[in-house]
Amino acid sequence: MSHSEPDLTSRSHAALGDPVLQRALGNATATFIERRRESVATVPDWQALRERARRVKEHTVNHLDYYLEQLVGRVEELGGIVHWASTGEDVSRYVVGLARARGVRVVVKSKSMTTEEIELNHALEAEGIRPVETDLGEYIIQLARERPSHIIVPAIHKTREQIADLFAEKLHVGRAQEVAEITAVARARLRQEFLSAGMGITGANFAVAETGTIVLVENEGNIRLSTQVPPVHVAVVGIEKVIPSFEDLSVFLRLLPRSGTGQKQTAYVSFLNGPRRAAEAAGGGAEGATPETEFHLVLLDNGRTRILADEQMRESLYCIRCGACLNVCPVYQKIGGQAYGWIYPGPIGAVISPQLQGLKEAGELPFASSLCGACREACPVAINLPDLLLALRAKVKEGGGEEPGARNTAERASMRAYAAMAKRPKLFAAVGRLMRGLGRLAEKGGRIRRVPFPPLSLWTKYRDLPAPPRGGSFRERWKKGEGKE
Amino acid sequence: MNNDRSPAGQAGVLAEVRRALGHTQTVRPEPLEPFVEEPAESRVEELIARFTAELRAVGGQAHRVISEGEAAALVARICAEAGGGGVGLSGSPLIAELGLAAALATGGLAPFPVADFAPSERGRLIMRLECCGAGVTAADYAIAETGTLVLTGDEEGALLASLLPAVHVALLRPRQIARTLTEVVAGLRRERMGRAAPACRSATFITGPSRTSDVELVLSIGVHGPKQLHVVILGE
Repeated sequence: MSHSEPDLTSRSHAALGDPVLQRALGNATATFIERRRESVATVPDWQALRERARRVKEHTVNHLDYYLEQLVGRVEELGGIVHWASTGEDVSRYVVGLARARGVRVVVKSKSMTTEEIELNHALEAEGIRPVETDLGEYIIQLARERPSHIIVPAIHKTREQIADLFAEKLHVGRAQEVAEITAVARARLRQEFLSAGMGITGANFAVAETGTIVLVENEGNIRLSTQVPPVHVAVVGIEKVIPSFEDLSVFLRLLPRSGTGQKQTAYVSFLNGPRRAAEAAGGGAEGATPETEFHLVLLDNGRTRILADEQMRESLYCIRCGACLNVCPVYQKIGGQAYGWIYPGPIGAVISPQLQGLKEAGELPFASSLCGACREACPVAINLPDLLLALRAKVKEGGGEEPGARNTAERASMRAYAAMAKRPKLFAAVGRLMRGLGRLAEKGGRIRRVPFPPLSLWTKYRDLPAPPRGGSFRERWKKGEGKE
Repeated sequence: MNNDRSPAGQAGVLAEVRRALGHTQTVRPEPLEPFVEEPAESRVEELIARFTAELRAVGGQAHRVISEGEAAALVARICAEAGGGGVGLSGSPLIAELGLAAALATGGLAPFPVADFAPSERGRLIMRLECCGAGVTAADYAIAETGTLVLTGDEEGALLASLLPAVHVALLRPRQIARTLTEVVAGLRRERMGRAAPACRSATFITGPSRTSDVELVLSIGVHGPKQLHVVILGE
């Protein structure tokens, strides 16, 4: 999937200059952080759960061949049809072929990052099959022909007024005033789509190897409708989504909603074992099974085995797509999901995208991080995101690539000057004294609002600098014996 | 779909997985040691109180009744308020025991058992439920610490009845309430969805009515599924 001119820096500037987006991002990330904190506090031993989840993922990924074989065997025993796909095109070809064979013209879809990764909708549209996104946020994004700005709330960058205008224009309905009216319009429209669709396409949050169970987590009910109303259900699932045992679900289903939306439990969680067995429900034999009750599991590689082959990067496959690392990331909080330029945003996106896309395409993303480590702390499976980002930066440089801003002469010159200074303690101290003095001259109420020369002017273009602390540098104070008991 | 198991498919991806892991053949791993958590013991009354509070916190309502007569009257009242006339009833024995069909019909409603529709008539059942005001089901499990109901798909029509109408009423016996998700997951595996008990096609965990915060993070209830969820806790 190609994105996209312009580069990350330009996209970030565009995001920073969009006041609606800035307000929405600030609100969404702060809200999710607070809700997560509250819901995590309801678990007696959160760290033990995280450690367990990490161990389960580590174990599964290290024996992925075994658990995939087990999953596939079990799904087939249950009457499901399994298709393996090396690439996104393989998935598209299979789904389009199936839709054609069943005479499907409309497909209802639930929010699925995996199908967005492979741009399944484009492939369906190209063949005259109409895909309808049914998650409210995704429906809005699809009508607007845009990209999601957040994993959990994809249309958070749009105001209710913008959405009301969009619905009025695209759906030819009266202009809604309230959020409840917008929801009601979408409900009525999408009900018709569910009832007429010939196929439902979902992802999966988890696939249980020992039982063949596909698990889907949601709030709206659109996944339940997508899997229960149309006669054919296709689940497109990355090979890393498998977990060994049914009981592992009790760990992951406590971690995921709390980390994602800050809920103790989402409104709905569906466990699906194979196709609807019409024959059994009717008390008849297998001959009563009608072709309307089909379940297809499409297992997707699309670069995942490449990640698996790299022992250090392997843990990026532990991700359960909760979005917690996005909300806490100081970079994401300011630039939002669209600026990352690919379907997976935030710290985990900066790790996954370059690996799935290639370093040439997305090699600038690992540099979009301050390496503060908040993502690692928030991650429910404790993925070591800062180390993975650093390793990817090294790979980019080894591959002859360069970081964003590498050609920025002012930045390079100042980094070189800093390096020279940092090697000379006396000079370092003297320059420090000079800068603190200058800083105090420019200070107003504890902040420096504008520095007229680069590179600091690049900083103060968007934010204030804190004023230098009073009472000398740390080293000066340490020398004087402050803080020593 | 004759190419499902083509070499480029199964053999391709699995071979890539093995190569990435450096495995020459697939070997069954030692499973992880079990994850042991403090067992949770609670009295039934505590569980009911906790379930009720958690359900209310997510926008659902729990009602406590002791006698079957009370339960039938309460369900009839909720369904009448739901409007629409039609009421889809799941085939659960509890619903038959309560004589709900008669109670609802007496109240001027039009109840019908979803089991009356054969699997081949699924499309008709869906259209019928779509026009209903309410669906009535019986839960198989509940989780006190999250206010969650669990319906299992022994009867698929029941899942549709809990999803399509604007109001979902679920009957629940106090002894079906467990304290934690862990207990319910273990029960589901043992009794319905594990390899030893593959009788059941699906299970649905329901925690409050359908909700979304996709527009400006404003909570909106009933976006796709029911707008109201009533749980009638019946008996001692």
